[in-house]
Parts: sequence; C-alpha cells; structure tokens
Amino acid sequence: MEIEVKMPDLSTTGGELTVLKWLIAVGGSVKRGDVLFEVETDKATMDVESAHAGVLKKQLVEPNATVLPGDAIAIIEVSQVRPAMAAVAASVPPVEANRQTTSQPSESVSGVNPNTLAASSPAPPRAGMFAENRAKRAENATTTRSQNEQRAAAPRMLPAEISHDQLAAYNPSFLLELYTRMVRIREFEEGVKYLFLQGSMPGTIHQCQGQEATAVGVCAALRDDDFITSTFRGHGHALAKGLSMDEILLELYGAASGCCKGKGGSMHVGNYDKGMIPAIAIVGGGIPLAAGMALAFKMQKRDQVVACFFGDGATSEGAFHEGLTLAAIWDLPAIFVCENNLYGASTRVNQVTRLNDLADHANSYGITGRTVFGNDVLAVYEATKNAVDQCRSGRGPVLLELLTYRRTGHSRRDACNYQADVEKQAWFDRDPIRLLGDALTKHCDVDATQLKEIRDEIVAQFEVAVERARSAPLPSEDDLITDVFA
Amino acid sequence: MAEVSTTLATRRLTIAEALREAIAEEMRRDPCVFCIGEDIAIPGGWGGAFTVTLDLENEFPDRMLNTPIAELGFFGAAVGAAMMGMRPIADVQYGDFLFLAMDQIVNNAAKMRYMSGGTVKVPLVMRAPIGATGRGSQHAQSMERCFTGVPGLKVVAVSNAYDAKGLLKAAVRDDNPVLIFEHKLLYGSKGARAESQAVDATSDIPENEYVVPLDKAALRRSGSHVTILGWLLMSHYAMSAAESLAAEGIEAEVIDVRSLSPIDYNTIGTSVEKTGRVVIVEEGPRTGGVSAELAAGITERFGEYLLAPVSRVASADVPVPFSPPLEDAYRPTSQRIIAAVQKLLSR
Ligand SMILES: Cc1ncc(C[n+]2csc(CCOP(=O)(O)OP(=O)(O)O)c2C)c(N)n1
Ligand SMILES: [Mg+2]
Repeated sequence: MEIEVKMPDLSTTGGELTVLKWLIAVGGSVKRGDVLFEVETDKATMDVESAHAGVLKKQLVEPNATVLPGDAIAIIEVSQVRPAMAAVAASVPPVEANRQTTSQPSESVSGVNPNTLAASSPAPPRAGMFAENRAKRAENATTTRSQNEQRAAAPRMLPAEISHDQLAAYNPSFLLELYTRMVRIREFEEGVKYLFLQGSMPGTIHQCQGQEATAVGVCAALRDDDFITSTFRGHGHALAKGLSMDEILLELYGAASGCCKGKGGSMHVGNYDKGMIPAIAIVGGGIPLAAGMALAFKMQKRDQVVACFFGDGATSEGAFHEGLTLAAIWDLPAIFVCENNLYGASTRVNQVTRLNDLADHANSYGITGRTVFGNDVLAVYEATKNAVDQCRSGRGPVLLELLTYRRTGHSRRDACNYQADVEKQAWFDRDPIRLLGDALTKHCDVDATQLKEIRDEIVAQFEVAVERARSAPLPSEDDLITDVFA
Repeated sequence: MAEVSTTLATRRLTIAEALREAIAEEMRRDPCVFCIGEDIAIPGGWGGAFTVTLDLENEFPDRMLNTPIAELGFFGAAVGAAMMGMRPIADVQYGDFLFLAMDQIVNNAAKMRYMSGGTVKVPLVMRAPIGATGRGSQHAQSMERCFTGVPGLKVVAVSNAYDAKGLLKAAVRDDNPVLIFEHKLLYGSKGARAESQAVDATSDIPENEYVVPLDKAALRRSGSHVTILGWLLMSHYAMSAAESLAAEGIEAEVIDVRSLSPIDYNTIGTSVEKTGRVVIVEEGPRTGGVSAELAAGITERFGEYLLAPVSRVASADVPVPFSPPLEDAYRPTSQRIIAAVQKLLSR
C-alpha cells in the first residue's frame, strides 16, 4: 500500500518550510523513526522522522524546495501496515476534514498593506529564508551544546542499573506492573508523535519520553483517591494516575467524549474522578493549587494527599515560593514533585539557578527535601512512599527533586539543538524503561519475549484507541457556551 | 497617511522579521535599549517563542538577557531598570503570562509617573503575543481589555509588518510604558495553511527610517455606508468582509484601531460622521471588551451622527476552548461581520 507523506506543521509562525536534504534515497528502505529528511523551519534545522516502515518510492520535492505544512512530499510503499496509522495517512487530509467548521475557507486578504506604498505584490517565495544565517546559526547551536556539555560536567554519579537488592524487596507482578505503565506512556507518546508528524493532531503537544519513571513511580505510591496536579507536559502523569489512553486521545483530537469534552486539549488533560484536576499550562500555576487542595484535606480531616508535578523551570516562579511557604507553615499533606529534566524550554537549568540541587530549596521553607534519581522507578516509588507516609501522618509537606531527562524537544516544533550529545547519550543509557527492563531480565524470572509482549499489546490497544478517537464526534457549536459556570 | 514613506526601495517582511529589525535598529541607535525575556538569547536557539529575537545575540551578546521563568521578577526588573535610565524591551512568550506580571505592570510601571508627581520616567516596552490558535484556554486569551483601562499605560496592537516596525520603534523612544500586542496568526508570511485562518500580514518595508505614531488609528479602506472597526487579526477579517460586501454594493470603511489606549477618536469620528453606522469586531469575550469602551466613546462623542446603535461582533463569554470546531465558533469570522453589517443596514 502506498502512503503519501505530508510536511508536518513544524513552523511556529505559520511560515514555509524548506526541505534541505533527503536522508533516505529513492528505493531505500525506511523504518519507523528513521530520519527521512532534514527541514529548515522558521527558526532551526530539524530532522523529521518517518511514521511508516517500508520503501521510499518517490521524493516529491527537490532539496531546497519550499513547501507548506500539509503538502505531499514523498510516497512510501508500506510493508508493515499499522491499521490506525495507515488509515490516517491514506485517506484523511489534516484535521480540517472532519471539522464542522464555521470558518470561511479562504481568509487570505491581499492588498491589505496599509501604508499605501506602491501597490503591494503578493508575497514572493521566500525560499531559503534563513540561508544567509544558516551556517552562523548552526555554529551558534554548536556553541550552546558545548556550553551545556560543560554545564553538565559537574557530574552527578547516577547509577546505570537497578540492582538486585533493590528488586528483591518487591514481588515480580508489582515490578511488571510498573514496567507496563511506563511502556504505556512511552508508546502513547511515540504514537502521538507520529500522529502529529502526519498532521492529524490539532494544536501543539509537549511530550515526556524519557520521563516515564517519575510519573509512574510517584503515582504508584498514591491511592486512587489521592490527587495530582500536572503541567502542559501531562500525558504521562494522566496515564500513570489511571486515565485511559482512550480518554486522553479523544481529548487530544478535541472530541466531545474526551476527558475534558474537547475543551481542555493536550495541555489540560485531567479527570477529577480519577484524582487529577485539569493540567495547568501556566508554569508553576499548580503549586499554590496543590497547597490549597492539601489544606482542604487537612481541614476536612481526610487522609488524602496531593502530589504536585512541575518542572525545574517552575522553581523560579513566585508561585513556587508562595505555595511551598503556605504548605510548610500549615504542615500540609502535599508532595511537591520537581521533575528536573535539566531544561526549561531551551534554557539549561544552571543558567537560571545557583543551586546544584533544587531540593535544597526545601531548606528555605523548613521542610524535608530530597534529590532522587528520577529514571529509577523504584527509587522514585520509594521516595514517594516515604513522603506519602510522612504527609499522611501530619508531617508534610515534602519536596522531591527527581533527576530525569526529556528525550524529545520541548514541544513538537522544537529542534532541540541545545542538548549536548554526551549528555543525551548518558541519559539514553539510563533510559527508565531500559533500566527496569534490564533488571527484570537479569534478576527476575522474566525474559525478553515477555517484555515484548507487553509492548505489543499496548501498541495494539493504542491503535484501536486512535481509530476510535479519529472518528469520535466533535463538539457542536452549542457546546461552546456550556460548562462556564457550575 | 502621514507615516507613509516615499522611498522606492522596499523589502517584503513578515511581522516577526519587522519586529526583529526594529529591535536591532533601536539597539544600535541607543545603548540603553536591551531585551529581557525567556528563551530569547540562547545561541542558535529559538529567538523567543515566535522567533522575534532570532539571531540578535550575535550582535548584542550583552543586551539580550535570557531570564528564568519568572515573569513578575523580570517585568519588575525591567521597570526598575527603566526608572534608572535604561530602555528595556520585555516580552512574554504568550500574552496569558502577562497576568503573572500584572502587579509590576499595573501597580508600578503605570503609576510611577503620577505617584512621583511627574518626576520619574518609565521608558519600558512590553510585547505580548495573543489570540486563539489551537492551544486551549491558557495560551489563547485576548487580554487587551485588561490593560486599556489602566491610566499611565499606552497600548497598541500591530496587524501588519509595516506597523509592527514603526510602532515598536516609536514605543522604544517613548518615555512611558507601552504594551504592544501581537497576534500569533499574523507573525509569519503564509500562515493560511499552517494554522487555519491565518492571513498574510507581510508588508513592503522601506529601507529608510520611519516610526508609526502610538496614538493614531489607520484607515485601511474607504467606504460610505458603514464603519467597521477592528485590530490585529480582526482588522484582516474586517477587510475580507468589506471585499465581500462590496460585491453586494455595500461600501464599508475599515479602520484598524491600532492604538487601543489612547484611542484615536479623530480618525474614528471622521468616519462615523460620514457613515453613521458602526460595527466593532473584537476577538475576545463580548462582555467588558475594548469594543465596549469604543462603543461608549463613539456614542458620547458622535451620538448625533449615529443612524443606528453601535453593533459589536465578538466572542462568546467563555474561556477559549481547545477543540477546533469550538475555537472556530469562538473566534469572530468574516461571515459574522458581514451578517452584522447587513443587519445594521437593514434597520
Ligand atoms: C508562566 C509561564 N511562563 C512561560 C511559559 C512558557 N513555557 C511553557 S513550558 C516552559 C518551560 C518549562 O520548563 P520546566 O518547568 O522545566 O518544565 P519542562 O518543560 O522541562 O517539563 C515555558 C517557558 C508558561 N507556560 N507559563
Ligand atoms: Mg524542565
């Protein structure tokens, strides 16, 4: 079956994209995830991965050609048809197709140029818009990477494996459950990534590949009736707290049956009944909320706790200071979970703090703070369990700093050209799923086939979920004005 | 119009490029000008959320200040530096984050001059991208309304590259805090297919220097039957509505309000006296918008010329929804503008 590859929407300013070079020759075979071509966006050069496996039949554009998102650029003869993916690619143009859109098809306004300068011509092609700066920009990015490499040089001795002793404390079914939950997040995020690259996801997405152990380790130590707060990077937290792939995917597609009825979207997934308020997309915005949620638990003498997820970047916000201060003085049952993935957007953590350990912030509030290796799901689980116990016995709050790494750009439009190679490699070697998978095969009675079966089953579930989500009814115009007030 | 340059040499720029050029020129001209914001100065990096400061770190390594995520902090720092003689350009990645800096903007920046009995100056420029673009409720609001009623603040909105450059330069040279609103769908050159409903906001930019005054509306199209007022994306939709109406024999005058505080009632009044009918278009909830202020201001000043009550096309009184069909229903469209004009003329 032949599939048309379309240019994904990778520009932040709605501009053209330049295909710089093809990395797979015509006739060459392609695996899913292989870099198919290199593209220049309005701010950087980036690699674009193939969502399909097969043989590259045609390159529809020449190197240096300028195209728009949605333009067909290649044809792949797919060998391994992933049902949902194939359906997406073969038949469906971008989201517009199944919108009951109220908009006019063409809002393009020509001659609106206000300054009545000589009659303005239509915008000329802007091929190679940044050609003159391309080399300089690449050189600058190299500088940034090497600076970040030096910043990474103050080494933290992070283990590259989970030991037998650690595993021994748990029964294998629990360990396999943790593994399964992490794989569910990984496969969900990877699947969504390809859906975005195919142009079938509205909006933008922030993903958490590489950070699965923080979400899973923390949530595994919570009860169903405990709560979490989350961020723009919230898919993993939601899955770990027990939201289904279905309800999240439906939300990402803006369906009326999504976990927020399509009103929230990727940055606001949540389900109150499952202990997750809508994710907060304002950096740090969830921190005072968590204090307030914990305050309610305390005042109502409920023994629930709240775990509040936020990034390293959030520790610079006033909301962090104010929220932790309140939680501290009232001994609130709140666990403040700082996922330190070393970057806030494109800025490395050391550029915005003088602290080595963000957990040291706890000292200024007089509360417990701990730095934990966040890619070791068992270490995260144990630290959270202790924090939960402390909170339930009235000795909260706790600040946990979980050291982790995002294996993907900040959002899908980020070329992520600031992460140093050695740093990436060190963290890839400590991938949370690999760490637990290796430990399970080495120390427990688990073989690789079993792990593969777990993954295959999740992938199959995901594809079913995609098909459902894509054909699910979207909200109607009448839904616009509902849900504003209780 | 007065700000039009007569030189022939021009280049076609996008709003993002025009802003970048204006910032660079002002930084070259005056060593006190500097930029402060998040992800604006990582070498080879983003140039802020929408590329406006891209590459500027090459020329101004010491005047591109990359901040922690601390809007209250760095907006306050910008106000402080401005009082001591610097001329900062502070930006938020999305307008929605202005709310985090609200205290420094509203309680300090806007009031310093007055509270000091006219002694302290705050020559501060603030930039904020706004508008609904498929990102849900917290990265989408149009919050001009929250700032236009703050005495001591000047507020402008740029709808094309020519204005973007000229207004930014005027703002840098002004001795007061000026807040510039920019629309996410207008930054690039060809958003129409990238983001549904994006339009072309590029302009031919003259090679020579120019500024666009901070207190003047812009007449975009002449007509005698009705005046349509809009700004940012809505000024483009008003133009496209006017083109369609012309086919029916209705000639609409379109004014890009552009200067949201203070409002240029001279330009608007001249038009209202001629047409006697006004439709105001605003992206953002109907209740409490800038259009409410415009409607009241027009009625007070030019009420005797009005042949019908002022009409508004705005968003529903709801947060910005995520789902594409809901967002499309939220944002005013050309069709809704056309319908409002037809209704007004049939009265
Ligand atoms: C108040 C606020 N300022 C800026 C942003 C834009 N923004 C979104 S995510 C982000 C970086 C956040 O970094 P971090 O807290 O470390 O979380 P991570 O992305 O690493 O998960 C920024 C600057 C925002 N959403 N909210
Ligand atoms: Mg981070």
